[in-house]
Amino acid sequence: MTTFTKKQWIGLALGLIGLIAPFFFNIEGLSEAGHIGLGIFFLAAVFWMLEPVPIYATSVLVIFLQILLLSKEGLIFSTPTDFYNPDSYTAFIGTLASPIIILFLGGFVLADAAVKYNLDRNLTRILLKPFGDKPKYIVLGLMVVTALLSAFMSNTATTAMMMTVIIPIIARIDKSDPLRIGLALCIPFAANIGGMATPIGTPPNAVVIGTLSNQGINIPFGDWMILATPLVIIVLFLTWLLLLFMFKPSTESIQLDMSGRFNTSGNAVLLYLVFAVTVLLWVSESLHGMKSAIIALIPVVVLSVTKVITKEDIRKLPWEVLWLVAGGISLGISMKNTGLAEWIVTSIEWTSFGTITMIVAFSAVAIIMSNFLSNTVTATLLIPLAVSLATSGIAGEGFNLIIISVVIGMSASLAMVLPISTPPNAIAISTGTLETKNMAKAGFVIGVFGIALVTLYAIFYWPIMLN
Amino acid sequence: MKSGFILNDRKTILRFIQRAIDDNEELKAHVVKLKKGTIVFKQGEKLPFLYLLLEGSAKLTHTRHDGSSLDLVKLEPGHFVGLVAFTTGNASLTTCSVLDDVTALKIEQREFEQYVNDHPRLRHPLQQLMMNNMTDRFLKNVELESRMNSLNKELEKEGEELKNAYQQLEDSHQRLVHQEKMATLGELVAGFAHEVNNPAAALLRSSEALKENFVHSSKNDPLELMFRIGLESEPVSSVDVRNRMLVMQKQFPFVNDRSTVRKLAQMPDKAIEIIDSSRKKIPIDQLIQQFESGKLIHNIKVASERIANLVKSLKSYSRQDNNEADMIDIRLGIQDTILILSNRIKYLDLNLNLGDLPLTCGRMGELNQVWTNIIVNACDVLPKKGHLEISCQFEKPFIKVIISDNGPGIAENIIDRIFEPNFTTKNQGAEFGLGLGLAISNEIIRKHGGKITASNKKEGGAKFEISIPVKNC
Amino acid sequence: MENQIFILVVEDELEVMDALVNDLEEFETHFPIEIANSAAEAEQVVQHIIDSGSTVGLILCDHVLPGKNGVDLLIELQNENKTKDSRKVLVTGQAGLEDTVQAVNKAHLNHYIAKPWSKEALHDVVIQQLTDYVIRRKLNPLPYMSILDAGRLAESLRDNPLTDH
Repeated sequence: MTTFTKKQWIGLALGLIGLIAPFFFNIEGLSEAGHIGLGIFFLAAVFWMLEPVPIYATSVLVIFLQILLLSKEGLIFSTPTDFYNPDSYTAFIGTLASPIIILFLGGFVLADAAVKYNLDRNLTRILLKPFGDKPKYIVLGLMVVTALLSAFMSNTATTAMMMTVIIPIIARIDKSDPLRIGLALCIPFAANIGGMATPIGTPPNAVVIGTLSNQGINIPFGDWMILATPLVIIVLFLTWLLLLFMFKPSTESIQLDMSGRFNTSGNAVLLYLVFAVTVLLWVSESLHGMKSAIIALIPVVVLSVTKVITKEDIRKLPWEVLWLVAGGISLGISMKNTGLAEWIVTSIEWTSFGTITMIVAFSAVAIIMSNFLSNTVTATLLIPLAVSLATSGIAGEGFNLIIISVVIGMSASLAMVLPISTPPNAIAISTGTLETKNMAKAGFVIGVFGIALVTLYAIFYWPIMLN
Repeated sequence: MKSGFILNDRKTILRFIQRAIDDNEELKAHVVKLKKGTIVFKQGEKLPFLYLLLEGSAKLTHTRHDGSSLDLVKLEPGHFVGLVAFTTGNASLTTCSVLDDVTALKIEQREFEQYVNDHPRLRHPLQQLMMNNMTDRFLKNVELESRMNSLNKELEKEGEELKNAYQQLEDSHQRLVHQEKMATLGELVAGFAHEVNNPAAALLRSSEALKENFVHSSKNDPLELMFRIGLESEPVSSVDVRNRMLVMQKQFPFVNDRSTVRKLAQMPDKAIEIIDSSRKKIPIDQLIQQFESGKLIHNIKVASERIANLVKSLKSYSRQDNNEADMIDIRLGIQDTILILSNRIKYLDLNLNLGDLPLTCGRMGELNQVWTNIIVNACDVLPKKGHLEISCQFEKPFIKVIISDNGPGIAENIIDRIFEPNFTTKNQGAEFGLGLGLAISNEIIRKHGGKITASNKKEGGAKFEISIPVKNC
Repeated sequence: MENQIFILVVEDELEVMDALVNDLEEFETHFPIEIANSAAEAEQVVQHIIDSGSTVGLILCDHVLPGKNGVDLLIELQNENKTKDSRKVLVTGQAGLEDTVQAVNKAHLNHYIAKPWSKEALHDVVIQQLTDYVIRRKLNPLPYMSILDAGRLAESLRDNPLTDH
């Protein structure tokens, strides 16, 4: 047992009070199950924000509480009431193996094998070559490669790998050259941004897709990329310009000495093949119609059958991320089913806001929240509200369910003001080459034009694509 | 000896026999003449005859397994030929060849008894002659045996002498090598000392000069005061540092960086008072830095002085500049040795008891090696905090040095041999080139006319006693 | 003051200790330094550090010490669970070949610094050893990237990745 800090004690107490409190108040317009749902929501929100327990632990706690208090097999609702038709416990447990989780698992296995056989580093080496030796193009190259890799690997793992690339470069650059800061910042920023590009890029995407699929809306892998990639490219490009402007390099040229060669063992070649086939199949889902989660099983099956990944590799996979996402999706189920989300939505006077205002508001809230909280948690807490708002029809015609979910998902990834905002930021700051204020300034600017861009996309681009 | 009856003169007997032959035709027929070079019989043959040499000579030759032959006996008139084979009936051990033309009485074996019976005149002389022959051979044998014995003895003695000579050669070679080593070491030390003294002096002078740069004689400036205190500060033990760090943390709660707290903890109270009273005006970091500067300069000074001292004693220890016998104070040598070995004996409990000694004639460098050998040997066997006692006194007319320890002592089975050359209980590869053995120590002391003995103390531990007679050069 | 990684310096000559600690000052922002003049004291200090919930990341130890010598101290610390993982460095001009071999074989000596040392070399050794410690103990490397070998720590992140959340 570890000891709790003061903040954690407060979190623990508040969370438990939040869980119990709705039992003692009768809230008008909210069913009995809604009260319980609200309690669980309070607990989850407080636990996720103040982290008295790890966030993935909160997620399984949420699933357990839902089964205990809200499922047909639980302690309270063994029979349906007029206001609440309880789900079977399998609905909650099922989130742990929902298609998006399996999709992520596939992504994890691919990424893990890629790291194991140094595919990520070798790709970086190849891809950086065309960018020459001018600092500004090197920065661009680093950002493009980082974004590309983080679209298929975890943002954090990508950042860690890229740090091993840039740390020797930074060490050779004069201490007074702002380029050092630019280099150290471009990596985490590009990783955060690149993560938006694919469903498996970062967990908030999974929450968006998972929640939507609970609504019966399926977003194929390729469709997500069509929605997200243009935004990623624009944000990446603007971030590049911003970093060059803020941290103007004084060095004329820098030398990248990335030596190494592709691993050509049988296992490695098989991995390259599986990687290529899987990504191709994912991207072309609309052509062949095979679900991305099913495709995701290909690397899992092939790489484990051929022992390209071993028992030890499987143990090292970030399983807790899957718990985290599953908990988020599960929370969404009961928020909708108990009428809680609808109650929250109706209790706010939405009509006074226009559609655009609401998109801006959700985007801004998501960015602000996820600067302090986990991106996934932000998406988890906000998306059920947005979903209810959209399905209730209160928000009007233009307030599309998919668009608002994607807005939240994307915005959650655009938070990069503080070291604690995302793990890639934490890695960058820990190298000691930059100060928090450098990161905060640049991150703030990105946040602001992020909100603007997301809004523009939500209004002009995404509706066209979705129709 | 009953004279007259036993005829031990071969020639006389032969005359009797000659006469008997001359008188008897039957016997005459048995006399044969053999030409020079005739082989009478060969080694390995059975002999049906026995010859009695009447004139001329023959020799007996024995052929060995390796084919070489050895002349054994020269036979002369009165000697029997083939006597051994004849009497034993075995094959002959020798080959007989004629040297000078021989006249001999050839006696067939089966007829022999009859001759003797038939010719009573022959019987007695023949028996006498035979006895004479046998006696002759036996005497010869005895003589040979004793000669061989004395030869062996002589050989053994020569071998022993050779061995000793070799050992002496080896010893003197070792001594020479050792002397050579010490001479080289001495030269090295002299050069080294000269070279090291320069930078040591530079260090010392620079630290003095640096000090003056800091000192401006404004006695009331807290910064300068801090520097001065730093100059005189003594290092603080880690236990005290730890304890005082806690105190300092309380006294200066606003200092939260550990390195600074540690520095404060190493300051004397005087410095802390100054910091306390003037930190409102002057940043605390500056005050500390001043103190540290003083301390660093002090450290440089102390360290360079240590180097200079070490070099000095190294120089006098090796005494290469003066390898001639001189009137010396043995105590100084012992002190130098201890300084040189200070690293080895740093944590021994050393009890030094050097009483007044007169000067005596000796070679300081060599004697120092003796002390070194014994002390290093003790260090090798002593545990940490072991006890080492070195004392000296004057017991007219001897100077007596006693070095004893409380180690495991010397095993009784080797105690008599430890001064022998090449005796060691250690593995090869003496450290510092000094573990050259007690034999050399013994030799050195002997050359000084003294004596070195080793014994075990009753209460445990080894004890070496060296006595050197006091004399003038 | 929990969960800190200490650097322990064992040296009997106070001036030398002073110089060593001065040279190590820059690490103290992340790795507090403790000092001891003898092996016995070092053992007490280690116990104290462990009792307060911290660990010893690096031991810099002279060989010739009062009482137990440096190599014996390192061997003993190697045999104790709480200091088995601590990196062990001999800083000495005096250990003979035999002692050093002992230290390598029995104390898993990680490095040998000959006196007189240079600040750069000392820093290099300390950085590499503490980096090893952080990686081997699978500690979160982020807090140490700015002071230790950032490249190697980033590399270790690839093997034990932090996750997105």
